[in-house]
Amino acid sequence: MIDTSRSTGAGKHRRRRAIRAAAVAVVVGLTGSACLAEPGAGRNRGAEDDVVEVMYGFSGDQSQSFQDIVQPWADQNGIKVKLSSTPDFDKLIRSRVAGNNLPDIAIYPQPGITLDIALSGRLIDLNTVVDTNRYNKNNMYLFDAASDAAGKVWAIPMSTSVKSLVWYPKKAFQAKGYTVPKTHQELLALTDRIKADGTPPWCVGIESQAATGWPATDWVEDYVLRFGGVEKYRQWTSHQIPFNAPVVQQALDEIGKIWFTEGNVFGGRQAITSNAFATAGNPMFENPPNCFLHRQASFMAQPGSFPDRIVEAIDEEAGVFPLPPIEAGAGQPVLGAGDLAGLFNDNPDTVRVLEFITSKEFGNQMAPKGGFTSPWKDFDQSKYPNDTMRDIAKIAYSASEAVFDGSDTMPGEVGSGSFWRGMVAWVTGQKDTATVLKEIDESWPDY
Amino acid sequence: MTAKVMTALISIVAGVGGALVLYYLLNKLAERLPGRWEDRIKPYVYILPAVAAIGLFLIYPAYQTIVYSFANRTSTEWVGLDNYQQLLTSEAFLQTLFNTLLWIVIVPTATVILGLAVAVLADRLRPRGEKLTKTIIFLPMAISMVGAATIWRFVYEARPAGQPQIGLQNAIVTALGFDPVVWLQQERFHLNSFWLMVILIWAQVGFSMVLLSAAVKGVPTETLEAARIDGANERQAFFRVVVPQIWPTVTVVFITVLIGVMKVFDVVYVMTNGNFNTNVIGLEFYNQLFTNGNAGFAAAIVVMLMVAIIPVMIYQVRQFRAQEAGR
Repeated sequence: MIDTSRSTGAGKHRRRRAIRAAAVAVVVGLTGSACLAEPGAGRNRGAEDDVVEVMYGFSGDQSQSFQDIVQPWADQNGIKVKLSSTPDFDKLIRSRVAGNNLPDIAIYPQPGITLDIALSGRLIDLNTVVDTNRYNKNNMYLFDAASDAAGKVWAIPMSTSVKSLVWYPKKAFQAKGYTVPKTHQELLALTDRIKADGTPPWCVGIESQAATGWPATDWVEDYVLRFGGVEKYRQWTSHQIPFNAPVVQQALDEIGKIWFTEGNVFGGRQAITSNAFATAGNPMFENPPNCFLHRQASFMAQPGSFPDRIVEAIDEEAGVFPLPPIEAGAGQPVLGAGDLAGLFNDNPDTVRVLEFITSKEFGNQMAPKGGFTSPWKDFDQSKYPNDTMRDIAKIAYSASEAVFDGSDTMPGEVGSGSFWRGMVAWVTGQKDTATVLKEIDESWPDY
Repeated sequence: MTAKVMTALISIVAGVGGALVLYYLLNKLAERLPGRWEDRIKPYVYILPAVAAIGLFLIYPAYQTIVYSFANRTSTEWVGLDNYQQLLTSEAFLQTLFNTLLWIVIVPTATVILGLAVAVLADRLRPRGEKLTKTIIFLPMAISMVGAATIWRFVYEARPAGQPQIGLQNAIVTALGFDPVVWLQQERFHLNSFWLMVILIWAQVGFSMVLLSAAVKGVPTETLEAARIDGANERQAFFRVVVPQIWPTVTVVFITVLIGVMKVFDVVYVMTNGNFNTNVIGLEFYNQLFTNGNAGFAAAIVVMLMVAIIPVMIYQVRQFRAQEAGR
């Protein structure tokens, strides 16, 4: 009896020791193999088949129009294409690059991410496959958005959108005898006049669920561009000057003057962060209007933002003017954004698809469907479906300077992180201007 | 369509068949060993595939994560403890940790208390009333977290004063004559975090109620009767007789909810994306990896989370063992 128990006890002990030894061996083995990823390791899998996969972030009508144009063209030219619309594009492209499961062409809504992906060594420098000079001459934003300091170009524009726009309710605006301002001073004067007439002049909303804050970053970029000029603007967006440079402070002060002055914004300061950006402008079209001015990008002309009855009669109901320059005669600068296409391999078919979707020929088919602005400055404006789109295109093509949305080209930590959050903290009054800008500057990654 | 169904069928057949063949072959191999060795080796042969799978899909990735937490953002160079140092000295991350702590303390506690209250009170209703109550409380369990967040968006929605309020809470507040409140931006005392916790509690109470209700019903009536004969009032009977007997279930519910809360992500992501100081560690990890592309920070955060969860797991395993031994 005693003997048996002793023997099983010893057996248990021995077994435990064996297990411990095995565990140690495993840990040692793993530690020995502790290694890091090699940059640029692995082949581009997308290059192995003869199907050109185009991955993009837009959806709904725009995606349908895109497929309706690209698919027949590809069939005619004997190219097999796979067109994948992906919500949450930025997240997915990162994991596909990390997993070496690459598309052939990616169309970036926020091309800043290309600089980060380029670090992986997977992107093709477009200088080596297309005549980028041809694009640069007549195309908007090219070297702003997705090229590095050495002049390598990672993506070129397929479409563009204009951000420096102020919308107004045309009929009520004209009935009150207001006129479109040509300078910043005139804009401030108009603001005061509307306020004196008893209506808050502006509707502002920066709520966008997980991306809350981005509409405010557009305002800041617009005013940095106006106060500092293109040179300063580019230094700022590429962090050659600190994020909290004096010109940025100046921009925020000016925006604060418009937003935070009592009676200037419908709903007051605290409504700015809770107002959804897409519907924030709707009180303009109430009767009587609850505000007269709303600064937002060209996508407002598409269904989904303004009320449907306004979108259906956009030319009669809504007017649009560019956010004016500080001084008359200084030229009209424009802030824009767009979808930019980049390559993961340089197969002839892939390059042909890239050339097609960035061509005027593609734009000619896309423009009449609405919601599309061609990045080509010499684009045939009669192709646009209405006068509002033509007005917007005119503003874009005749701009004295056109720059790309800075927050879309900054690193993710800033452009879709601390900049958004900082603006929210600033608007709610949680932090003062200097603190907010300093914190954003400190969040800039040093790689 | 047919191609997809065929692929699915083939993979099921191949998978199950493959597993059978594998075990059959391993068994045959073991049987070839001399008698004593056959008995010794066989159990390991059967457990080997499972252990290998866990090693490949759980232990190896966990190990690799720990390794990457000492490397830079692209996992290409060693940086030592830099990731941890930078995170733990950043004010924003410390706030994130504090928020997570609030979630950990409040949500499981509230879930257990509310679930227990419902279980005990419903127990005293007539059967039909009990069924109805429990069904309603259990209903949110069937809704995904993103769906729940979307529903609660309509509770917290705020429009500028003067506009029609479509948010439930603000409709009530403005009907009473007050100005609309932007609930999710109330940073004082982390109030907005509490509004978010309400969503998770709402979704989890059903789970806690079901388990605790079963436990309450399992309390032998003799013990309660004995207590009452001895002169215990209702409160004493509940706290001194019922609660001690259902305590093991209470800990199980508490810990299950706790582990879920430590990983909370979807509610916060959908409602605020961590804005207005509502960030939590699960969301911070996601944003570091997918928004910022910083694998080093993301790995370091996960390692910290893993270290924090280990004591809870150990406690749970111990608890479970003690219960088994008690049977």
